[in-house]
Amino acid sequence: MTLLTIDGLQMYYRSDDGYVRAADDINLELESGQTLGLVGESGSGKTTIARSIIRLLPDNAEVIDGSIDFDGTEVTDLSDRELRKQIRWREVSMIPQNAMNGFDPVYTVGQQIVQAIRYHEKETSKREARDRARDLFDELGIEPDRIDDYPHQFSGGMAQRAMIALALCLEPRLILADEPTTALDVVIQDRILQTIKRMQAEIDSAMILITHDISVVSETADRIAVCYGGRIVEQADSATIIKNPRHPYTLGLRNAFPDIGDEDDDLISIPGTPPELVDPGEGCRFAPRCPFAEEECWEETPKPEEYGDGHIVRCHRADEADLLREQATEKATWDGMRDKVRQSISRGED
Amino acid sequence: MGLREYVIRRVFQLILTLWTLVTLLFILFRMVPGDPTSRFVMDYPSDAERQARIEELGLNEPLYIQYIEYMGQLLQGEFGDSAHYRQPVSEIIFPLFLNTIVLMFTALIIAYTVGILFGAAMGWFRGSRFERVGIIATLVARASPEFWIGIILVWIFVFQLGLFPRSGIGGYGGELTMNFVDRYINFDFLRHLILPALTGAIVYLATPALLMRNTMLEVLKADFVEIKQAEGLPERTVLYKHAARNSILPLVTVAAIATGAAMGGSVIIETVFNWPGVGREMVASVSRNDYPVAMAAFLLMGTSVIVMNFVADILYLYLDPRVKYE
Ligand SMILES: Nc1ncnc2c1ncn2[C@@H]1O[C@H](COP(=O)(O)OP(=O)(O)OP(=O)(O)O)[C@@H](O)[C@H]1O
Ligand SMILES: [Mg+2]
Repeated sequence: MTLLTIDGLQMYYRSDDGYVRAADDINLELESGQTLGLVGESGSGKTTIARSIIRLLPDNAEVIDGSIDFDGTEVTDLSDRELRKQIRWREVSMIPQNAMNGFDPVYTVGQQIVQAIRYHEKETSKREARDRARDLFDELGIEPDRIDDYPHQFSGGMAQRAMIALALCLEPRLILADEPTTALDVVIQDRILQTIKRMQAEIDSAMILITHDISVVSETADRIAVCYGGRIVEQADSATIIKNPRHPYTLGLRNAFPDIGDEDDDLISIPGTPPELVDPGEGCRFAPRCPFAEEECWEETPKPEEYGDGHIVRCHRADEADLLREQATEKATWDGMRDKVRQSISRGED
Repeated sequence: MGLREYVIRRVFQLILTLWTLVTLLFILFRMVPGDPTSRFVMDYPSDAERQARIEELGLNEPLYIQYIEYMGQLLQGEFGDSAHYRQPVSEIIFPLFLNTIVLMFTALIIAYTVGILFGAAMGWFRGSRFERVGIIATLVARASPEFWIGIILVWIFVFQLGLFPRSGIGGYGGELTMNFVDRYINFDFLRHLILPALTGAIVYLATPALLMRNTMLEVLKADFVEIKQAEGLPERTVLYKHAARNSILPLVTVAAIATGAAMGGSVIIETVFNWPGVGREMVASVSRNDYPVAMAAFLLMGTSVIVMNFVADILYLYLDPRVKYE
């Protein structure tokens, strides 16, 4: 069953220089119980996309166009009150990057979980809500009595577990996990991620997992969507993204995290900087950094095309994927680009 | 260190600070030129009579003797005798002090309640017209002299609307003789209290309102505010139960210190409304060279500040679970 359908979403931020096109023509689908990985470099619009679903956006954010359908409800049409009562936390909860700051420091963690439960379930008694919080703690491997501790009394990993308890306390159907492990010690990152997966499976909720690191989602997600410059440039099931990507940016990302690439262990980074999102103009936003860019790429925005079974790519040269894939593993391909980027930068300075 | 030792140590510091205050005040008042007899020359026609009065007041003794005697008195809760009233200072100053406390407390409670709620709302609706108008109104209130606000209120509520009495604290001028309950717990007193308290409230409002707005702006950047919104909690809950609750912490100190300072009384408000308080008396006693009364007034004021600082520290422990007693 399709839980979430985002169709042609344009979410821009107003700024003094004009609109920042943080989410531009976004199309996504998510089946219930599934995990979607949202990857891309910083500023590519991942957070913007995820938060649009619960409209948790700064004041200068503006939905220009598009629809967000959550299980038959058009979220963009809901009033603030309806959104709060029907969607937020009850249906869609989130796990932030830094759990320590996600709790209000002046209340105990238990008080905050109980508050969330009781706000949405008026019939639940305080006692029952507390018991539920304790059970969640137990399942997450925290001593249940610690619900009476204040957030600062928790270690980073434990605070993140407590945050998971908060996110799951209403058994939502979708969890937005925005880099849930980035703030943590590398050693426990994986464990926390496994915990999230386990709990997610238990309550059968879907998840959007945001990360910079494509290797994280390759194991965790059912589907992966790759963001670049406010657009989703490629999406498919995880295996396809890892094994048969078609977009040059995805190819580059794969190189940057060599532990998922198969034979080549060389770490090749993508030269250049993220695109300007104010007035980006026509054309593929990746073109300035793309070693395969042609005339057309600069002039015309590529439309999303499907290459079999939900594999959707925005690239004029996606047809030639086999060739590109081969060349992309060569360091020289990107190094050539590095020179071009350098030239264009120095040209710009003249 | 446990909470207990922390409190004990702070109490010890408190006592030390108070002792320093008393000593400083004592030295200061012996250093100023003139004595209680030098003002009313006419009262003491002959030098001999004047000398007798000085001896009566104990001012001929060496300083250290005077100091020891003064400290001894203080420990018994006495401030000596007033040269002007020819009465024990404590009998004069404590009722006045109580009047001031009642007035200032009322003013501060109004100022901080309204200021905090209003400041929190200004921070929450940052960038709105509400915030802009709010800031201007607050600054105007802050920049206005107390007497001016007082006079305007009197003009409106006394002369135009005839709602409240012009001055005093009610009763029949025998304020000092009535007991606590009779003096304060009656409708007439309340009518007298409203205007001066309102004047004080307007003057004191700016600090909590602006400070609250500023800390709110900081707190609103914190992740938890967003999470609370994501939880679907109503705006009111997020604003007051979470954001404002966190922003209030720095205000506790300010409020406590402001309370301490306000307990010294507002000379101007007390004068405009002819409020028999310790601020008005402080000025009067200084101009009369009535040291014992003036010292007692200063001492009460300083003590209020010090004690309220202490209270602020202890309150902080309860309000912010993160504070470690060090
Ligand atoms: N309030 C805002 N006003 C204007 N521009 C914004 C605002 N918030 C974000 N942006 C811009 O929108 C773009 C997308 O931001 P977003 O936070 O969605 O990216 P992200 O992919 O989540 O990045 P990161 O990995 O750093 O979290 C960025 O270019 C960012 O600068
Ligand atoms: Mg982000």
